[in-house]
Amino acid sequence: MRRPAWARSARVLVGAGLLLAVLICAAAAPWLALHDPAEQDLLAVLQPPSGFAGGSPDYWLGTDSLGRDVWARLVYGARTAVLVAVFSATGAALLGTMLAHAAGYFGGAVDWVISRAVDVWMSFPPVVLSLILMVGLGGGIDKVVLAIILVDWTRFCRVLRSDVVLTARRDYVTAARLAGYSHFQTVLREVLPASLPLIITLISLEMGIAVVVEAILSFVGLGVGATLPAWGQMISDARQNVATSQIGLLLPMAAIFVTVAGFNLLGDGLRRTLDVRATAGRMA
Amino acid sequence: MTVLRAESVSVSAQVQGVRLRVLQNLDFVLNAGSVLGVVGESGAGKSMIGRAVAGALPDGFVLDAGRLAYASSDMGTMSAAHRRSLLGREIAFIPQEPMAALNPALTIGQQFGGHLARLGMSDRQERATAMLEAVHLRDAGGLLQRYPHQLSGGMCQRVLIAMAFASDPKLVIADEPTTALDVTVQAQVLRLIREMQERVGTAVLFITHDLRLASEICDDVLVLYAGRPVEFGPAARVLAHPSHPYTRALQLSAPVMHGERRALFSLAGQMPGLREFAGLQGCVFAPRCPVVQPDCGSVVPGAVNGVSCLYPDAVDRIVVPQFLPASPASSSEPVLEVSGLHCSFAKPGLFQRNRVVAASDISFRVDAGEFVGLVGESGSGKSTVARLVMGLTLPDSGDIKLSGDLLPASGGASRRMRLGAMQMVFQDPQSALNPRRRVSDIVTQPMRAVGSSEDEMAARVEVLLAQVGLSREIGQRYPAQLSGGQRQRVNIARALCVLPKLLVADEIVSGLDVSVQAQLLDLLLRLRAELGFAMLFISHDLAVVRYLCSRVLVMHRGQIVEQGETEAVFEAPQHDYTRSLLAAMPADI
Repeated sequence: MRRPAWARSARVLVGAGLLLAVLICAAAAPWLALHDPAEQDLLAVLQPPSGFAGGSPDYWLGTDSLGRDVWARLVYGARTAVLVAVFSATGAALLGTMLAHAAGYFGGAVDWVISRAVDVWMSFPPVVLSLILMVGLGGGIDKVVLAIILVDWTRFCRVLRSDVVLTARRDYVTAARLAGYSHFQTVLREVLPASLPLIITLISLEMGIAVVVEAILSFVGLGVGATLPAWGQMISDARQNVATSQIGLLLPMAAIFVTVAGFNLLGDGLRRTLDVRATAGRMA
Repeated sequence: MTVLRAESVSVSAQVQGVRLRVLQNLDFVLNAGSVLGVVGESGAGKSMIGRAVAGALPDGFVLDAGRLAYASSDMGTMSAAHRRSLLGREIAFIPQEPMAALNPALTIGQQFGGHLARLGMSDRQERATAMLEAVHLRDAGGLLQRYPHQLSGGMCQRVLIAMAFASDPKLVIADEPTTALDVTVQAQVLRLIREMQERVGTAVLFITHDLRLASEICDDVLVLYAGRPVEFGPAARVLAHPSHPYTRALQLSAPVMHGERRALFSLAGQMPGLREFAGLQGCVFAPRCPVVQPDCGSVVPGAVNGVSCLYPDAVDRIVVPQFLPASPASSSEPVLEVSGLHCSFAKPGLFQRNRVVAASDISFRVDAGEFVGLVGESGSGKSTVARLVMGLTLPDSGDIKLSGDLLPASGGASRRMRLGAMQMVFQDPQSALNPRRRVSDIVTQPMRAVGSSEDEMAARVEVLLAQVGLSREIGQRYPAQLSGGQRQRVNIARALCVLPKLLVADEIVSGLDVSVQAQLLDLLLRLRAELGFAMLFISHDLAVVRYLCSRVLVMHRGQIVEQGETEAVFEAPQHDYTRSLLAAMPADI
């Protein structure tokens, strides 16, 4: 039995591998970390990683300016990142996909209203829009997720709509209507399955974007809040001491890089292998 | 003078380590000033000849035996530079899709000028104008300023013919040049190719799947089957008195326009696919041959007088079954009555909205069990009528009665009344079958919509597949795993699932090979005898309509210009347009 094309793609395998590592960190954070991420040790601030001169074996990756364990904050930060990525990408996908199918399938006035809404929405710079939303909504991880959904559903809507327009014009969609299906059943049975590969790909890419947006929001202090460890927050904290200790800045940046690279590789690999248009040429 | 000569030419492909002979032992001679037709069904390898000459065989395909010679130089060993110097100058091509062959971003003048510049001509403007006038295009000067999308398909094809003949080529290769065109345009294009060819004394290699066309234009024909030549000789002899069972079967499976309406011969099975070529033994046609002899399966027939058959005398024993479509009883009641339908579409404009009339004052009736043909050219409004009848497009005015009951103009009631009573068979099975669903799922779609049980549906699948002549295993396959004919059968099976009283069929046999078409036409007649449905059969092929339908409606520019008994209309057409349609049909073979 040959593995399907997507499971043989190097991009997918590498991306999935990176994400698996992040996911394990997030899931096993309480066991991986030796300290509570919020626990302050004011006698041991800005320590270098253990093994370096002045480092202690107790703090593997050293401590920050308040004496908190960097390793603990990194793995707990992965939790925040993964939660935000999963929920905001799923939410944005649900909202965007529903509106895209309504617009592409019904066309006419429905399409016009939804497409114009997307146009207007997309003319706001996304980061500024999410900052405004955060100011309005208040802090917290749920608010971050909501802000990202409200900003990024347009990505799904715009890309999927053009796909749905093409599918909805096929005769088998008409045939389903003639067979007695309601509009909802027709979309669910005949149109949505054709968009699934694209939706999966977009979700993967959107998760990477969500991680970055969450980091930006936390960096400017409008993110998940001070009680939850977050990579953006860590960068923001370490920025003040960048002259004396660079490691506190570099590690969360590396974590963001690895996670986003994982999502992008996975998304790109899936796009190349699941998209019929990209693979059809090679199979013929 | 011989322009193109093939001496036991073979083209092979390496597929997963197996060498497949795509073309084998091809022998023919094409002399200056004559037209050689290469005739075969899809998959016979006819386009490979043109590609071999152009040096544009698909990846992995090679000309690996024999000699393909242009004038005196071998095309197989010719250098790429030498070949390039010939192509476009001495060897020109007329493509299948005229619209796709022209660059939409450049004017006709720019493209024609570019071509002439490549040929090294200086007086381009005059030359282009002269050539466009030679292909009977009016206002040639103005035409050069226009873009391809502003021209019709027929005009584009004329432009391409003018370009092909601009260099006074010695050889023109035309690969299905009229497939994308309407009948009346097709006749003009054929006449034009012939005219240009006679003017310059060019040799033409005319590739087609249509025997009638070949008999119309060709001096010689080469009939291909599964990459092997089965018959080669003068067109008059080969097509009128075929000596190979395959040619004979093709001839008998095409419906006729004149004389007695005869039953069609339907050739069982289908041509082996490329992957099956490796396992072929003996005569490639033997598995389907109606007059096969025991040694046909083991002995490869050599060509004698151009005929590759061990028993060329056997063709006389091929007989057409005595099955003729019975017309339904005359006292039947109407299933569908359409009166005064009018439909127009808004043409989007910035300031004013113009309306384009797609169908006006459409009135006709279809009786129970009756097959009614709807003919006309592309853009005549045939498909609009189909969509109006099915309720997929809403009319501006007019009534539709289904079994005597007036259908509401729109809304759920109108949809419910249509649901079990009428179904549609679509033109393009590629688009009509969801590639992600199994056949069994597709054909029982209407039952799933009303929530039938899995057992009921499984039983229905079995009945439906048997009715349309498909084996049970087909139910588990996906549309991509089926041949064109099989897909169209699935398409029909789905429409029959609810036992409709009326089928609306939009060009359902037009993309199919003649032998597959014959199978489907007979299938429809057999199914009518079993199930008794009526059909509105939309087609551009008058011969098919004559075979299938007892009455015919002729559409032109959104109106029904003539209707009546098929025989009467075709024998004594009253309207000018019907006459021009009939005149454009190639003669019977």
